[in-house]
Amino acid sequence: MTSEVRRRGLSEPTIERLRLLRKKTMATWMIYRQNRMGMIGLVTLLVFILVSVFAPQVMWVLAHIAGWPSVYGPFDEVETIGSGLPPTADHWLGTDFRGNDILARTIYGSRVSLLIGFVASLVSMGLGTAVGLFSGFWGGWRDEVLMRITDVFLVLPWLALMIVFATLLPGGPSVMKVVFVIGITGWSGTARLVRAQVMSLKRRTFIERSRCAGAGDYYVVRKHIFPNVFPLVFANSVLTVALSILSESTLSFIRLGPDPTRVVTWGNMLEDAMTGYAFLNELYLWFMIPGLCIVLVVLSFTLIGYALDEIFNPRLRRR
Amino acid sequence: MKAMTRMIVRKALNSVITLFLVIILNFALFRLMPGNPVNAIVPPDPRIPAEYKQHLIEEYGLDDPLYVQFFTYIKDTLLFRFGDSFADPGTSAMSIVLENLRWTLILAGTSSILMIVIGMAIGMAAAWKRGSLFDSGSLAFTLFFYAMPTFWFSMMLIAIFATGLNWFPDSGALTFGTRPEWTWASFVDLIRHLILPAASLTIGAIGEFAIIMRGSLMDVMTEDYITTARAKGLSERDVMRHHAVPNAMLPMVALIAMTLAFVVGGVFQTEIVFSYPGVGYLTIVATYELNYPILQAAFFLIAVTMIVANFVADLLLVMMDPRVSVV
Repeated sequence: MTSEVRRRGLSEPTIERLRLLRKKTMATWMIYRQNRMGMIGLVTLLVFILVSVFAPQVMWVLAHIAGWPSVYGPFDEVETIGSGLPPTADHWLGTDFRGNDILARTIYGSRVSLLIGFVASLVSMGLGTAVGLFSGFWGGWRDEVLMRITDVFLVLPWLALMIVFATLLPGGPSVMKVVFVIGITGWSGTARLVRAQVMSLKRRTFIERSRCAGAGDYYVVRKHIFPNVFPLVFANSVLTVALSILSESTLSFIRLGPDPTRVVTWGNMLEDAMTGYAFLNELYLWFMIPGLCIVLVVLSFTLIGYALDEIFNPRLRRR
Repeated sequence: MKAMTRMIVRKALNSVITLFLVIILNFALFRLMPGNPVNAIVPPDPRIPAEYKQHLIEEYGLDDPLYVQFFTYIKDTLLFRFGDSFADPGTSAMSIVLENLRWTLILAGTSSILMIVIGMAIGMAAAWKRGSLFDSGSLAFTLFFYAMPTFWFSMMLIAIFATGLNWFPDSGALTFGTRPEWTWASFVDLIRHLILPAASLTIGAIGEFAIIMRGSLMDVMTEDYITTARAKGLSERDVMRHHAVPNAMLPMVALIAMTLAFVVGGVFQTEIVFSYPGVGYLTIVATYELNYPILQAAFFLIAVTMIVANFVADLLLVMMDPRVSVV
């Protein structure tokens, strides 16, 4: 690795930093590997990510093995539109009232569901980290103002707040809107966490040393505070992805999710299943499979999150 | 002691500021929402005369300039008056919210007690038998239900136990059309309607309590005073009961306080799926109807409870753990 980066003309300190980063990552991985629950979560998640990335290929392979008449897409009308049909050899999970193959929709649905989870979590993590860093590091009246705003978001009911934002924003339901709504309502916990960590870091001697050497605020935050907060933020964001995926399904459940005729997510598949009276028509898999997918993905994120938390959270590491 | 008093005063002041911000946001959010509330009161029917609509607009003060509306709103809020519900004129919004609060208290109260007791018991047992089959098994079990979307789990319960097996009713708090009475039959009816939503709430939330209790207890077990207690010759049971568990309760206090807050705030998803007439159900319906008075009354009530619960949790923490007061 070293020879490769040297060829790209990187400076000595950068190389040293990369070497240290690699060493640290390897050390973390060695600890992580011993966490059985964490590994189960990681493997499950990787399977879901692979299936979502290669969704068309997965469908192609399945179609050829099972000898389906064609390779179904999530919006293809493979059956007549009506009330949906129970599972058959050609449609393993049956079809829904749009005449779409439920297996195809489930497989393609993983794409947007995971995407919303990641991006929404990125938005809320970014906001939360920014507020927490600023508030914790500079303190004073800025801290007071930001913390009162954070409190407001913490005390208002989360679902009602999401609904209000979703109705407040212009335009119909879309993926962007869902991401925005989840992001804007989910940052307050992170802000609190980061702030507490920054406040304790700020008083450490290595910060003082850096200050004596003439470092300015911005430099200290960028070089010392942020890298030290980052692992905690990372562990926390894994848990936030899980929450974001759950939020998407809830928003879809109350009909504020993305439009099911143009985008397919597990959340709006459940919405469809309810609209189409899946249970009354005894099409149980239509309702169960997307829900189970959500449970498995959320569970794997939760397992990974707790495993990372045990490694990175200084309060827990002692054990 | 002086530092402690100062901190409590500061926290109280912060709570008041937060409450005030909530009140302002409450006003702003619902005026910014699209849609005309008059259309929510009066169905868009051309046969309804324009004068009647005008009369309603004047009666609710919707034609006043925004700042007039704002000051009226602040004054009314401080007097706990949120005006009449748009959906049923003549009934004050606060009285409707309070009526729904009864049901939320029954549902969320029961399940909170259950989830706290069961969650803590599982957490304690898991920490005690750390690394055992029970530890990983109970953790996996509770996390599995914790990962479920609440509405999905609720609907599965309905599908299995209400529609499928027909053991319990699928919606409402009482049999449709009946009022609560102090009779045995009415009580049984209430319990039968309570079991499914309470089960969905409890089972879904046990995981959180179990995990935090387990983590906290294992944290405490590494402290020196536990070693001291053991060295004194105390049995493992006594060490747990008198030294470990009381100290491990600290992080639980905050969690329990927040749970009690949601007892009032209502449990949106469960109440919607089961059509349980609590505050959560009322709020969601009001959001769709653009029923501002109800929304404002509900938001206000929920925010006040959350703020008070937060404050009490902070106070309890300071009283229980002198180390905290340094912050």
